[in-house]
Amino acid sequence: MSSFSELKARLLKPTPLLIILLIAAVAVARLLNLTTLDTMTIFMYFIAIAASLNLIMGFTGYVSFGHCVFLGIGAYIYALMVYYVPWANALQKTGGLGIIAVALIAAVIAALVAAAVGLAVLRLRGAFFAIATIGLDFAVLYIVMGTVPFINPEQFYGAQVILPSRCLVSKTSTFTAMFITMALVLATNYLVRKSRFGMGLVAINEDEDAAEVMGVPTAKYKTLAFTLSAFFTALAGAVFYLNGGGVSPEAFDLAHTVDMIVMIVIGGLGTVSGPIVGGIVYYWLYDTLLVHYPGVNLIILGIIVGLIILFAPEGVVGILRRYEFKGVKLREVLE
Amino acid sequence: MGLATFVISIVHGLLWGVVLGAVSAGLTLIWGVMKVVNVAHGEVALLGSYLIVGLYCALGLSPYIALIIALASGLAVGIAMYWGMLHKLVGKVEVMTLRVEMSTLLIMFAFSVAITNSYYYFIGSEPKGLGLWHFGPKSNINIGYLVIRTNSILACILAVALVAVLHLLLAKTTLGKAIRAVMQDAQAASLVGINPVKIKMQTTMISIAVTMLSGFLILLHETSIIPGTAALYTPLSFVIVVLGGLGNIMGSFVGGLIIGLVYGLSKAVIASVFNPLASAPLALSIAFIILVLTLLFKPEGLFGR
Amino acid sequence: MPEAILTVENVTKRFGGLVALNKVNIDVYDGEILGLIGPNGAGKTTLFNVISGVYKPEGGKVYFEGVEITGKPAHQITRMGIARTHQIVKPFNDMTVLENTMIGVLFGRLAGKVSMSEAREKAMKVLELVGLDGKASELASKLTLHEKRILELARALAAEPKLLLLDEVLAGLNPKEIEESLKIIKETKEAKQLTVIMVEHVMHAVMNIADRIVVLHYGEKIAEGKPVEVANDIKVVEAYLGDRDLALKFVKVK
Repeated sequence: MSSFSELKARLLKPTPLLIILLIAAVAVARLLNLTTLDTMTIFMYFIAIAASLNLIMGFTGYVSFGHCVFLGIGAYIYALMVYYVPWANALQKTGGLGIIAVALIAAVIAALVAAAVGLAVLRLRGAFFAIATIGLDFAVLYIVMGTVPFINPEQFYGAQVILPSRCLVSKTSTFTAMFITMALVLATNYLVRKSRFGMGLVAINEDEDAAEVMGVPTAKYKTLAFTLSAFFTALAGAVFYLNGGGVSPEAFDLAHTVDMIVMIVIGGLGTVSGPIVGGIVYYWLYDTLLVHYPGVNLIILGIIVGLIILFAPEGVVGILRRYEFKGVKLREVLE
Repeated sequence: MGLATFVISIVHGLLWGVVLGAVSAGLTLIWGVMKVVNVAHGEVALLGSYLIVGLYCALGLSPYIALIIALASGLAVGIAMYWGMLHKLVGKVEVMTLRVEMSTLLIMFAFSVAITNSYYYFIGSEPKGLGLWHFGPKSNINIGYLVIRTNSILACILAVALVAVLHLLLAKTTLGKAIRAVMQDAQAASLVGINPVKIKMQTTMISIAVTMLSGFLILLHETSIIPGTAALYTPLSFVIVVLGGLGNIMGSFVGGLIIGLVYGLSKAVIASVFNPLASAPLALSIAFIILVLTLLFKPEGLFGR
Repeated sequence: MPEAILTVENVTKRFGGLVALNKVNIDVYDGEILGLIGPNGAGKTTLFNVISGVYKPEGGKVYFEGVEITGKPAHQITRMGIARTHQIVKPFNDMTVLENTMIGVLFGRLAGKVSMSEAREKAMKVLELVGLDGKASELASKLTLHEKRILELARALAAEPKLLLLDEVLAGLNPKEIEESLKIIKETKEAKQLTVIMVEHVMHAVMNIADRIVVLHYGEKIAEGKPVEVANDIKVVEAYLGDRDLALKFVKVK
């Protein structure tokens, strides 16, 4: 235990830690060729959605395959709000914090949806839960496709909400908003991991029945984790599609969930550093493949993901944490 | 909504429902027997469709001959998929855990990402079809106000035949009995001398081959296909398989009929009370609401114990 | 008459047509060790599942410290002070022994009242008590069966229960391990002033440690009393041997 407390003490000394983080951030930015605000925003979006899904999938093992439904709900509510509600549009123009303030409303609505269906759907286990969330995603997708065009038949053709210039904000603002989103969800991951709540979630992942008998209120905890996860996914979705200038039914594409899952699987399930490591690797992979192999990039990505699932299901962090380094267990550092 | 609209909705709903039931057969088999959650199901079906279109357009082969080639290639693709992806995950597993089940879902999704994007890259997003080819002497049959494409009728006939053959295969043959034994209890099956690995490989072969054949039905019913067609058939197959009960071929056939009917009727109702343009997506959303409700209240399916 | 900490009243539990428990009545007194025995399929584990809230009974009631707990969710019952072990050990394999035990502390009777670091200390103390402290930072999956059973016990004790349900904690252990386990159970029972119900197949062990014995047979209580009385009860011996004449011989010999 001594190594752990030493390590904790070291990590809590703020100045050296901040310097290390800063150097790491610069190195990552150079490595990933994050030269514009836009690429940085997208990179942070990747980490944010991975860390969001990690809250339910990583900690409890429940694979919410239709999780992109919350991405879509967040993005659509945000876009419609700034389109129709003058004060929301005015608020988002004040900058990053203003965007977050409006996005919070969208995120709360997504979280309410998650809380309502979560109570019921989380009774299901394994593939049935995954399929139920896919069902939810498609149900919402087709409801959006069947209703949004009729809100404004001339503008929202094909259920696309393209934001006119009066609703757009600067790239600096979306960058700031995405940074706040990422920081919030990573902090939440960290706090959950270190808390009683997080211990309960991991116990659910290990053996739900045993956890319940040991006193973990499994139904409540699962629903709470699912709701938190939906909240941050919607927040990230709102900011990401604002950054892109509008939203289309593509936001409900299961491929977004796959992005999230792949990042967590690469990084390591249920760890705090997993989504970050996974985000860096995935963004690099995504960017490199896109630049060098346009057209076949997604084919290669699919194959790589398949190989990871077959041959390294624990992910990078999952493998690393089994090793000890100079007496410090990596397991304790990485989680 | 007049009587004519009502009748037309029912007939077209049923015509599509029969196709849906047959398309779902391969999924209910592989999911029911092997707990492989094949989220690339629609993509595999399109593999069959594209193969048949390719053989017809490029080589001028009759679709019927192309169908036989599709069957043979389906068996081969099944072997490749089993040994390439599934064996490592489920081959030696006797009691399926949730984690194994999830890993099959993930690997099949990775496969679906690779194969869909292969379609976009190698074939392109333009619609592909059999052109003017049609079944029988005429392309349409008129019965009063009803107009039915003869290709749709062929799709129906083939769908019923496919489901009947598969049902008999499972009910009457030794292989079918072994498959059902593995489905119920792989451990017990291996105790009575059944080799589960062999049965799982054969199940994959049958499932993939049947699914690729069903791609022909999609082609006949839809007239033309694009890579995105799979994105409709995959999730709908899940609705139907859950409704019919995992591993229940006849159940999923009836499930297909129900979804076809519900879709046809609700589309007509929504068109008449709300907006014709909104009717298709909203009717589809009802199918997915049915999926969620079935999972919650009758996860064993309509015909389960 | 000492006070009953747990009262099982007319409890009936069915699985389809099978009656697993038929109007079972049991009182468990504060501070005793009650042995629960019976042939396989007698309903012992089912009774544990009813008490701990895993199953809801079709009929009857369960009271703990005078409060009805029938049908309450399992986690609430644990928080009220009933902890149990499982016949088939269920450690959280990817967690360390310490983390496993911390779950017990964090979600047991002290749920919400201890900080993470306090929970860590309390868990460590429990591990010292049962002699697993040396393995605290090992992953639970690395333990031997005997150690896993001790961990199961540690997790239950960590919940600071008033009533402890032990489901075949001795099964599959060698005589030396059995003796060790019995010692741990006796010591902790004294140290923590526990009431214990033990389901056990290792007959000499349970006869030795229990204050009282209840015998279940096909879901019904057929005998109850001091170990010596029960061992000489013709119905009990018959239940185990399945033959009345044979049973009579055994009882006479004693």
